[in-house]
Amino acid sequence: MPESEKASLAPEGESRVCVGVVVGAHGLRGSVRIRSFTDDPADVGAYGLLEDETGQWHFTARVTGFGKGEIVLADLTGIANRSDAESLRGTRLFVPRAALPEPAEDTFYWADLIGLPVFLPDGTLAGSVMAVHDFGAGPLLDVTTGEQQSVMVPFTHAAVPKVDLAGRRVVVVREMFDSGDEERAP
Amino acid sequence: MARSVWKGPFVDGYLLKKADRVRESGRNEIIKMWSRRSTILPQFVGLTFGVHNGQKFIPVLVTENMIGHKFGEFSPTRTFHGHAADKKAKRK
Repeated sequence: MPESEKASLAPEGESRVCVGVVVGAHGLRGSVRIRSFTDDPADVGAYGLLEDETGQWHFTARVTGFGKGEIVLADLTGIANRSDAESLRGTRLFVPRAALPEPAEDTFYWADLIGLPVFLPDGTLAGSVMAVHDFGAGPLLDVTTGEQQSVMVPFTHAAVPKVDLAGRRVVVVREMFDSGDEERAP
Repeated sequence: MARSVWKGPFVDGYLLKKADRVRESGRNEIIKMWSRRSTILPQFVGLTFGVHNGQKFIPVLVTENMIGHKFGEFSPTRTFHGHAADKKAKRK
């Protein structure tokens, strides 16, 4: 295990985002294979110090190569041999949310949207954002409206007129929640 | 083997009628549909379809890049909840 044992990087109450997980060792010199969850897999080490789930162990990751799909090969500070690298298998790697750069205008991190309460324009609570998806036709908010019920809402100005991160609320137009008893075509 | 060109793209008839109706009305409503096999045509660009994935309707805002693809390609039937990490969503 790495020698650096400190307090968590994220202050108490601040959120962290998981950017990857160690899936195994690579070679004899302590390199690890990381499944990267970032948009560009190489960015797994781009946001500064990484920490484990407990927040006690800190690493810097230097990406040295790429595996299949989202797998990257990386050297972690303090990991110098294969047995140390193998002991990290399954370790999830986090960065504080504050370490991510500010997004452009009208662009939001998925991590910021997930969990926000969803309101109708008249102020009625309609549910909360359970997940954000992108299936190739633009981002969608997966809004849970009750037990095992969810509605997909396109992330457009027409459907989501207001996103207030500071006030922790998303406003979605009522039409998105109308079931519309439409007859299925033959 | 690819579909013969002389047949033209396949689209369920009811979908063409629905799309025409919504386009003429000028309202930007979601067109609920079950025809995942239908091809996306140029006249669908700008419309939003709710493509059923067996469980719910997935909104698909049609853009030019989607022409020629099938609706079902944008409405997966198995959802994997991945990690958000540094992924961003731009509001259109």
